[in-house]
Amino acid sequence: MSDRSPMPMLVVLRHAPHGSSWLREGLDVALVGAAFGQSVTLLFIGDGVEALVKGQQTGPLGQKGTHPTLDMLAMYDIETLLVDAESLAQRGLIETDLQLPVTLVAPERLPSLFAHHAPVFNF
Amino acid sequence: MLLHLLNRSAASSHVYRDALRAMAEDDCLLLTEDGVYSALMPLAEHFSAVYGRLFALREDLASRGLEGRCAEQIVIVDMEGFVQLTEDADRVVSWF
Amino acid sequence: MATTTIERWVRVEGQEIALDPEGYLVDMTDWSPAVAEALAAEEERELTAEHWEVIEVLRDFYARYEMAPAMRPLVKAVGQALGPEKGKSLHLMKLFPDSPAKAGARLAGLPKPTNCL
Repeated sequence: MSDRSPMPMLVVLRHAPHGSSWLREGLDVALVGAAFGQSVTLLFIGDGVEALVKGQQTGPLGQKGTHPTLDMLAMYDIETLLVDAESLAQRGLIETDLQLPVTLVAPERLPSLFAHHAPVFNF
Repeated sequence: MLLHLLNRSAASSHVYRDALRAMAEDDCLLLTEDGVYSALMPLAEHFSAVYGRLFALREDLASRGLEGRCAEQIVIVDMEGFVQLTEDADRVVSWF
Repeated sequence: MATTTIERWVRVEGQEIALDPEGYLVDMTDWSPAVAEALAAEEERELTAEHWEVIEVLRDFYARYEMAPAMRPLVKAVGQALGPEKGKSLHLMKLFPDSPAKAGARLAGLPKPTNCL
């Protein structure tokens, strides 16, 4: 559609939903990038993997969750959802616990991921 | 080469683990703000994989009374050194 | 993002409907087809069947994802719901000159889309 930069941008999501606004802000950056035609990769790592856990709801005071936004990513053509396999295992989670299909990333692949994306936004 | 910035202590935050795992073989790591608490032993041991490319910011060490107590494996840089590292790097990635 | 600041009111079927400074509904639950007609009239737009089906797509999108779409996902959603002939920016630009994502969201009673120009 519009110009794509040579490298896709990487948005690293390291925070769990509900506890802070970091996750939402990271997703917003990804959506803005995608809305402007940038190719976007998401990496869920650390507590960020909790964002993908199935069955989430709004907060006790009716605060919006991030789960509808995750469902919306495909509408913005954000299809590359990477999950750090180690973070998932540390939290006792497996792929079928997640609300979307993802690609697991082995630890040795992480450095090249950071090297082959620009810009990198860490949230 | 990417320059990774870490501003949390290894004693209170696990984010250093993700930073280390994301680092390629020639990437550098600069400890800033509360990150400089990890410049002392035994916390500095967590960073043994990146000795030689592990830096700590002098100004942040000084304000915390830690200058002169750093592990010898750590290279101390001042603001000018920070700027130089940034110039040498293709990009900067912040961990917080 | 919808604001809670009331800038003005528009009278629809005997009720005063609050609008924010950019003309979006302050309270999304105020929406009705008659409200859409009134908002369109302000812009001197005539709502045709083709407008209504896009408004429907927008409202479905919000119900599902809790956000108003930017242009790219709107085109995709329209294509999925109404077929590839209509899932084109040209079609939407004809229906809503200026900015389809923003103008469409306003008429559909949604907040202003946050991630578009």
